[in-house]
This record gives sequence, structure tokens and C-alpha cells, in this order.
Amino acid sequence: MTADSFLFWMLAIVTLVGGLSVILVSNPIYSALCLAMSMVGVSALFATLGAYFIAGVQMIVYAGAVLVLFVMVLMLFDLKTELATFSRGKISGLMKIAIVGLLAGFLAGAFKTMTFEGADQAATKAVSTGDTTKALGTLLFTKYVFGFEALGILLLVIAIGVVGLARSKGGTHAKH
Amino acid sequence: MGESVFEITINCVKLILVFLLMVQMVPILVWLERRGSGFIQNRFGPNRVGPLGLMQLLADAVKFLTKEEFVPKAATKILFYAAPVFALIPGTLAFSAIPMASPLHWGQYTFAIQGYDIGVGIVFILAISSLAAYTILMAGWGSGNKYSLMGALRASAQTISYELALGLSIVGVIMMYGSFNLSDMIHVQEGTMHFQFFGYTVASSWLPNWGIFYQPLAAVLFFASTFAESNRLPFDLAEGEAELVAGFHTEYGGFKMLLFFIGEYGHMMVASGLMATFFFGGYNIPWKTTEQIYQWALNLVGSPDWASALTSLVHFVSFFIKLAIFLWIFIWVRWTLPRFRYDQLMDLGWKTMLPWALANTIITAIVIFAVSQSW
Repeated sequence: MTADSFLFWMLAIVTLVGGLSVILVSNPIYSALCLAMSMVGVSALFATLGAYFIAGVQMIVYAGAVLVLFVMVLMLFDLKTELATFSRGKISGLMKIAIVGLLAGFLAGAFKTMTFEGADQAATKAVSTGDTTKALGTLLFTKYVFGFEALGILLLVIAIGVVGLARSKGGTHAKH
Repeated sequence: MGESVFEITINCVKLILVFLLMVQMVPILVWLERRGSGFIQNRFGPNRVGPLGLMQLLADAVKFLTKEEFVPKAATKILFYAAPVFALIPGTLAFSAIPMASPLHWGQYTFAIQGYDIGVGIVFILAISSLAAYTILMAGWGSGNKYSLMGALRASAQTISYELALGLSIVGVIMMYGSFNLSDMIHVQEGTMHFQFFGYTVASSWLPNWGIFYQPLAAVLFFASTFAESNRLPFDLAEGEAELVAGFHTEYGGFKMLLFFIGEYGHMMVASGLMATFFFGGYNIPWKTTEQIYQWALNLVGSPDWASALTSLVHFVSFFIKLAIFLWIFIWVRWTLPRFRYDQLMDLGWKTMLPWALANTIITAIVIFAVSQSW
């Protein structure tokens, strides 16, 4: 076993255990913290592939900002009632089973249609390119510039929409 | 890690040394903080134990170790114990990525005088530092105390808000140096000031080629937001002892408390190191290039190996002097400025520093583009 493959398996285990704990642990705070662990694992996996910039951004944006907000909001809830309403009840139980079935079906379908042709070539190519940050920036601002800008507008719309909803439904920022 | 066993061993030892360096600087900083505050407030500070009160640190360490170990009844045990340990991680990992001297060339080997050299150094440091918010949240929620929770929420909201200003303020710096790598940035800042301006070369013999002369606004914004990131006064709303007892570490005592302390001082050291690296030439001696220092060392000792070692040593001392100056400014500010109110803090972060950082980014981009053209 080389150092690279050891690193890969260790990080893969951390990521998967983190991901599984998100859905298996009943306390939402632990779920969120496990998701953070999983994110750190994913970002480390990116780093082992040579995509250092993506790894850093993944950690800054997801683990460092988005999930911290999740954890912060979760800590303000009274988790005991949340837990009770979430884990009891026949209808919600049926819903859960239905959703798990649906997801399993999707996954099975995806695995069935998936081929691994060219996967190993893509992997080696990704490692061998030198300055990935520069290449990424050039691609984002030339070839994919419209998609990039559209995503920016989408995020702006979401932010404004959330503020609008929060103001119209009452709460601390309601219009007087 | 390296080619031969010798190189790998040295690189592993280096990691431990950087960690020990950081941890060992904490007691000295605590002493400096207490003596400095005494000096600023016209009183003595600790001066009884040993010469100049220096042995106070040892006495404190023993006190911390022998204190009663307890967990509050309402606490979540695993998070309560995990938080202080996690507090050490971001500071340590980030500090290891800062270059502390020019690389040492010894025979066929080249050793970087830092924990590890990462291509996207600054992105890595920002990524690691952004994880510090979890420590605070874990401590605050795990303590099972409303004051702790309030302190933790304040602290993490503050950390996230100022991370934006921090990140944006150095975008201009990154564009100017054209690299994420800290060693490259330091290399650019060597010697006296010289740059290309509309196809002409502008040179000055009395200014060092430091980042602060190109990006003064970025330097101010960066330094101010690092105060907020490390939860130091005037941004220590996380503690706010008048309102929140002591914020997120209300329930911690003894050595667990000390670990939070080390984490905070670690953040200060990372901030000071980055400040020196971005804006004050890193390990460079002002006005002198690495080559000039190396030639001087070569004339002094003769052999190239030892000359390289001497160059690294000189640079190491230079870096630590700069680091110490910024650490002292951290302490100085703490005992000079009063604490912000929470709405003032948020206004400053979102409505003042963020727009200024954005403006700095855009103006830098335009200027770099315009200046690089030959009209």
C-alpha cells in the first residue's frame, strides 16, 4: 500500500463515516457537525487529487461558512420537541420509508447506467496539469462566463427572495 | 515529504518544532500581555515571582494543571471535552504554513524553514482558520449554559462576518503579487522599491519594496479584521464579561481554559505572521535581497552550506522581530481601545470594511490592467 492510497482510503472512510452519521445520528447538532467533518474529508480528497484551490474553497465556503450558519441556527432551537416530532408518527414514518425507497431506486438506476470508461484517464490528467487555479479562472471567465454569471444572479435572487419572505411573514424583521 | 530517510525525518521533526515554537511562545506572550498592561495602566503587573515576574508563568502552569477538573451537570460531555482540543488545531496548522526564513540549501537537500510549503498557501490558511468557528460553537453549546451559548453565537457570527472583509482585503494583494504562494510573495518584496509604470521603470533607493506601499488600504483592513477573527479587544464581544460572564468559556477552568488561551494566541501569531508576509516583506531584511545576504554570508564563513544556513538564520531573526512587533501591537491595542457595541461591530464589518475591501479589489484590478499596457 503506497502513501497515496493509504491517504485516499483514510480520507474516504472519514468522509463516508461523516456522511452516514449525518443521517444515522438523531441529534441535529451532531448531524451538522458530522456533515462538517464529511466536508473537510471531501476537501482533503480534492487536495490529494492536486486540486488545491477547489479544496481550499470547499473548506472556506462549505465547512467554514454555510455549515457554521446551520450549526448556529440549530443551536437556537429547542431540540427536544424537534426530535419528538421528527421521530414519531405513522404518516411521517411512511413518508420516510417512501423517500428512502425513491432514493435507493435512483441510486440503483444511476449505478446500472453508469460506465467507468475513461475514468482513470481523467484522473491522471487532473493530477498532471500544473497551475489548476489559473486554468480554472480562465475557464470560468471565458468559456463558462454566462453560466457563471447566471449562477451569481440566481444566488442574488435567492438572497433577495429570502429577505422578502422573512419581512412579509412577520418575525423580527417584519414591516410595520 | 522527501526523497531519502534523512529528508523525511528532518521534515517530520520540523512539524513538531513549529508546533512547540507556537506553544512555547504563549507563556512569554501572556507575561508580556500582563506586564504590558501594567505598564500601560501605570501599575506593576506580575513582578514577585522570579526576575521581572518571569517565573509567574511556571507558577501559572502548575496552578492550571492542579485545578479541580469538573464538567457542568447540563453539559454535553463529548463536545465539552472536544472543544478545547479542537481550539489548538486551526492556529497550529495555519502557523506551520507561514515561511519563517529563506530555504536552507544543505548539500543536495533544500529545506523550507516552515512546517510545509503549500502551493496555494493563503487559501489553505484561510480555509483552516475558518474552522475556528466550530470550536467556539462546540464550547458554547456543549457547556449547557445560556451565557456560553450567547457568547458562542456572537463570536461565530462575528468570525463569519469579518472573514468576508478579511478574504476580500487580500484579493488585491494576491492580484498584485500574482501568486497564492507565500514564499513567492516574499520573494517579490525583496530589495528596494521598483515597479513598472506604463512601460517605465520606477525605482526608489530609500523605500523597501514592501506590500504596504502598494496596498495601504488592504493592510489596514486586513489588520483590523484579524483582530475580529482572533476575538481580541476591541472586538472581544464573544467574552464581554460585563454582559456574558466570560462568553463561550464561562464553564471552562484549569487546563481546558488554557487550551483556549493557546488557541487565541495562536490566531494572533498567524495574523502577525501573515501581516509581516503580505505587507512588510516577510523574512526579508529591509532594502536587501536574499542574494545580497547570501553573498555577505559567503564572504564571512566561506562554505556555501554554512553561508546558506547563516542566511536562513538572519532571515529567521528578521521574521521574528517583525512578528514580535505585530504581536506587541495586538497587546497594545487591547489595553488602549474600549470594546465596540454589537451593532457597531456588525456595521463596521458589513457596511464599512466590506465595501472598502471590494473597492480596493476593483481599483487594484483596473490599475494593474492599465499599468501593464504600454500605451
